[in-house]
Amino acid sequence: MEERQSWLNEELERRGVTRREFAGFCGVMATVLALPKAAGARIAEAIQTREKPTLVWLEFQDCAGNTESFLRSGRPTVADIVLDTLSVDYHETIMAAAGHQAEEALAGVVRDKPGGYIAVVEGSIPTGANGAYCTIGGRSALDIAREVCEGAAATIAIGTCAAFGGLPAAAPNPTGALSVADAVPRAKNLINLPACPANAENLVGVIVYYLTFNRFPPTDRYRRPLFAYGKSIHDNCERRAHYDAGQYVEAWGDEGHRTGYCLYKMGCKGPVTFQNCPNVGWNSGTNWPIGCGHPCIGCAEPDFWDTMTPFYSHMAGFPGFGVHSSIDRVGLWATAGVAAAFATHGFVQLGKRYMHARAENNDSEPEEPAAPATSSGKGADE
Amino acid sequence: MRVWKKHVREVELDNVYVWQWPVRVTHWLNAIAIWVLSVTGVYIGYPMLIASGAASDNFLMGWARAIHFYTAIVFTLSVLSRIAWMFMGNWYSRWHRLVPASKARWRAMRRTFRYYMFGMRMPPGFVGHNPLAGLTYAFVFLAYLAMIVTGLTMYGTSAHVDSPLRIFAGLAPFLGGLQTARWIHHGVMWGIWAFFVHHVYSAILMSQVEATGTVESIFSGHKFVPREDIIKPGYRFEHPEA
Repeated sequence: MEERQSWLNEELERRGVTRREFAGFCGVMATVLALPKAAGARIAEAIQTREKPTLVWLEFQDCAGNTESFLRSGRPTVADIVLDTLSVDYHETIMAAAGHQAEEALAGVVRDKPGGYIAVVEGSIPTGANGAYCTIGGRSALDIAREVCEGAAATIAIGTCAAFGGLPAAAPNPTGALSVADAVPRAKNLINLPACPANAENLVGVIVYYLTFNRFPPTDRYRRPLFAYGKSIHDNCERRAHYDAGQYVEAWGDEGHRTGYCLYKMGCKGPVTFQNCPNVGWNSGTNWPIGCGHPCIGCAEPDFWDTMTPFYSHMAGFPGFGVHSSIDRVGLWATAGVAAAFATHGFVQLGKRYMHARAENNDSEPEEPAAPATSSGKGADE
Repeated sequence: MRVWKKHVREVELDNVYVWQWPVRVTHWLNAIAIWVLSVTGVYIGYPMLIASGAASDNFLMGWARAIHFYTAIVFTLSVLSRIAWMFMGNWYSRWHRLVPASKARWRAMRRTFRYYMFGMRMPPGFVGHNPLAGLTYAFVFLAYLAMIVTGLTMYGTSAHVDSPLRIFAGLAPFLGGLQTARWIHHGVMWGIWAFFVHHVYSAILMSQVEATGTVESIFSGHKFVPREDIIKPGYRFEHPEA
């Protein structure tokens, strides 16, 4: 026990992180996880006493944005150290080993620790052309993902590509890209952490939750942890009061934009996007997109590239009417078209009735000499 | 020369109680609700009025949403009541006057369509909905249901954690995501407005040519129809000599 307690303490000491900072981190984690503040102590104990979990980080069809998101954090935080001190046995982008050595490290984890490691997957998994669009060491991404994720205690699909297919899976999806959930249906304890990139705090949150409670946090219907994706951005937004009041930015840099009004009319997808950005923030809590005046683009939602575009308008257009059309403009014109069609119908109706009435009047006259027997003045309709 | 000459025939007109009070009440509740929902809905989609002063002094969007949501409750209950009445009410309000479930209704629908395309001078006479109008209303009720479902889905995702309406949030994936639900909600509104234009025009037109008190009937419930329409609907004007 004594030995186990030391790994984190030593690590913290070596990096100059004080006990106070560590306690603060555990308190923050309790808050991120929506636990009572007192849970911080339990988190601290768990982190210090639990064995280092082994973690392998797979990268498939992606931009390494989630990896970047971790590596480029503003200052070394306790969170980084918790992540660092996980036994990251395999991470293509940042590991020192290369080639067969690297692949052997992965194979070793899968072979020696079945059900004893956490797999983090970044990027979507292409299935087109027999998986030829993404191969590592001669094996397809699908092959590797199936082997590694099916043998893992848990899989964390990090970023929108891994969680929902993301940009590579956007229409027309040339590589047949799939999310981890679709590509590896037998993956156990799959947790989706979408967003482009995913927030490092939420990954740390999931791992700290696992270390503390020895199970994974409750998730929603998209397998997203509720602590991070339970509420819409709109409902937690610092500009929400302006939305309810009816105060909106109408052009970039206008009075409202400089005042910090709601970005709803600039295409903000906060009302349909679920993540804890407003609470946790980005870059060590420095700021977040809406905080610096940019509308949310809905990057944490399924099919965001297809359904949230155009990013700077409230509503998508109508297929075939161009990117600048809106469903409402098309709808308004369609309604006007229907009105015009019925107006035309009305005029034709009137015209035909007029012609008919005139024909009836004319008919009665020339018929008279031909049929002198009938009394004159008899109309065509009785 | 009278252009709008009524079809004058020496026939007995029967006073028929066509639209029972639930039909008329739900009709007018729907009509009012659609207006209120559209006006507040367009504001929610395109907030053209910008409030000035402190955010805490204004609640423009808040009120628009509140009115929208309360009216949506009225609309939903009204639509569901009318659908229930399709299985409880009189002959003219039943579901088989909307969905053309018989061959005779299909044939009569073609004749009504021919009338609209100027192929016939007079429309085939019916006491309640003609089959074409009935089918239109079937689609209108589908449109209402689409609005209710997409609306509840969007509301459910942000409803209070204790709200039973949260269950509707689970429909979001089946609608293609929330943003797509929003898109459908906007698009179908325009479909309902296109229907509104047609509805008012056709009601007035039919009132003129059929002369059975069509427009008046949605207030009183009564129509005054030639007896032959009751005995053999859909044939009066097709065979005027018969």
